[in-house]
Amino acid sequence: MSLSVAVTADTQRAVERFYAYEARLLDERQYQQWLALLSESISYIVPARVNAAVDNRQRGNESMLAVANELERADGEGCPLREESYIHLMLRVERAYKPNSWSENPPARTRRLVANIEVMEATEDSFTIWSHFHLHYARPGSRSCLYSGQRKDVIVIAADTDAGFKLAGREVILDYADIELPTVGLLF
Amino acid sequence: MKSTQALVSDDASWVSRKCWSDPAVYQREKAAIFGRNWLFLGHESQISAPGDFVQAYMGETPIILARDEAGDITACVNSCSHRGLPVCRADHGNARRFVCPYHNWSYTVGGDLVTIPQEKALAQQPDKSLLGLKRVPRVESWQGMIFGCFDPDIMPLDAYLGDMRFYLDAFFDRFPGGVEFLGAPHRWLIDANWKLPVENQLGDVNHGPFLHSAIIPREAQDAIEALGYSVVTEPGHGATLRLMPEDAAFEEVAWGMEGMGGILGGEEVQRYLKEVQDEAAARIGPLRARMKGLTYGIYPNLSFLWSNTAFKVSHPRGPNRVEYWSWAVVPAGAPESVKRTLRTNYSSFFGPGGLLEQEDSEAWSQQYRGCAIDYADDRPLYYGLGLGEGGPHPDLPGTVSVTANEHYARGFFSRWRDDMARQEVGV
Ligand code: FES
Ligand SMILES: [Fe+2]
Repeated sequence: MSLSVAVTADTQRAVERFYAYEARLLDERQYQQWLALLSESISYIVPARVNAAVDNRQRGNESMLAVANELERADGEGCPLREESYIHLMLRVERAYKPNSWSENPPARTRRLVANIEVMEATEDSFTIWSHFHLHYARPGSRSCLYSGQRKDVIVIAADTDAGFKLAGREVILDYADIELPTVGLLF
Repeated sequence: MKSTQALVSDDASWVSRKCWSDPAVYQREKAAIFGRNWLFLGHESQISAPGDFVQAYMGETPIILARDEAGDITACVNSCSHRGLPVCRADHGNARRFVCPYHNWSYTVGGDLVTIPQEKALAQQPDKSLLGLKRVPRVESWQGMIFGCFDPDIMPLDAYLGDMRFYLDAFFDRFPGGVEFLGAPHRWLIDANWKLPVENQLGDVNHGPFLHSAIIPREAQDAIEALGYSVVTEPGHGATLRLMPEDAAFEEVAWGMEGMGGILGGEEVQRYLKEVQDEAAARIGPLRARMKGLTYGIYPNLSFLWSNTAFKVSHPRGPNRVEYWSWAVVPAGAPESVKRTLRTNYSSFFGPGGLLEQEDSEAWSQQYRGCAIDYADDRPLYYGLGLGEGGPHPDLPGTVSVTANEHYARGFFSRWRDDMARQEVGV
């Protein structure tokens, strides 16, 4: 696995500013403003994760424990937990502001920390960014729980917007095989 | 615990809250329900080659479902004969042997004990043929669906499924090559009783426009009510479906067209769905070619959500906890790219990230809370909607009624009561 690419301090700061803004919008339930950060061609994937069989031929090698062995991704033959486009995310945002979306009425309280923000690839107009998150979730009438995971994003430069970037792709790798969470339908 | 007879009224129009919340009721269910009925284990497409295995559950009992070296399907309890550890630690895979971590006894995927490393140093060798993994005594398949039963005297699977086969075939035989289960199931722990997801998928299309009104428009539900039927083939099994008019346009009749995959899938997917529909009448007859299923249930805990093409199993984990498994299913003969698109018919709306099921799982957990209120024990739940209504239909086997009739739920609870009573008197 390679080190992140060397970018200028300004670029790193711009990217981190974007992620802090995004996290704040989501925790303050300003999903319509969040939607405006998305590219309309966004692909939003949450792979499923399994307890994989160890391949004996890989013993002694890091590949034996590769996280990728455990994932059912968009290009695989299993079934990811979510494979969404802009329309799906728009539906989720619309649903959030309907009083009869019962699982969010009253709404859950969320607080997320996004950290370890690494620029893994840079082109003229886009960046591949990996980050980690912890999200605390408290739903009325339910257990509180912690969502833990990694995000692999593609963001494109959008100089004409305040945020400076648009989110064009996101893969959310959750740290669970058995899902002991009320839903993984959140906006991560 | 009260006698289980008292938990469900004679006509099953009243169901005690204790059925949903009493730990003693749950303890009895383990033997009375999960010990004596056919339970779904998996689909043959998941274990197609010798050595393939998947983990499954029968109630709380962990099971290894495998295809052994001879190509036969086997089901064993995942617990070593030496000190009881699980010998299989992966969700699925292909193996020659399962090696128990503790002392490395090793077993074939079919559960036969092959080696005891310690025996070389000893004068007497144990009889390994007596020390294999515990076998599930009955394992049978129908249309690729594998079931197991702990009761060696259970009726054959075919007879158990009965007229549900007519409705299941309307789906399975629609596609040349049948269907395929995609990957590992999504596994989701919900703070709810196992019977509510079952009841929901057995016939409760009535909650659609209410619980799901943020997503399902009233007009969609009106169409379901106008063309819909609720069928109980026998108590505990059931199907809800639409019979589309004979002159309905192909887009309205074809399976998959109203799912996200069909809508967003583009020309390749649309063409595939049209091909399937064009041949449907030849494969399953004209009546079933215009049948569009909604929900199906096989007693006690298997569900099929036709409208979003998923099979689901509700594994009990105590009175207040369920491990809910679901698999996306797609036509086995479809091109890979089409399969990938069609699987989103399921994942967009159902499963742990589904837009609709987030409301269902919330309702299921809140129902447990309501049923655990001791003070309300004298107020059983009302199951009487449509009592006495419904009857035979010229084309559809079973007792057929409008979708608002809760006869499917009364059927489930009358069978459940009989199973529980059988255990009570020890027959
Ligand atoms: S417990 Fe399995 S080998 Fe000892
Ligand atoms: Fe529902």
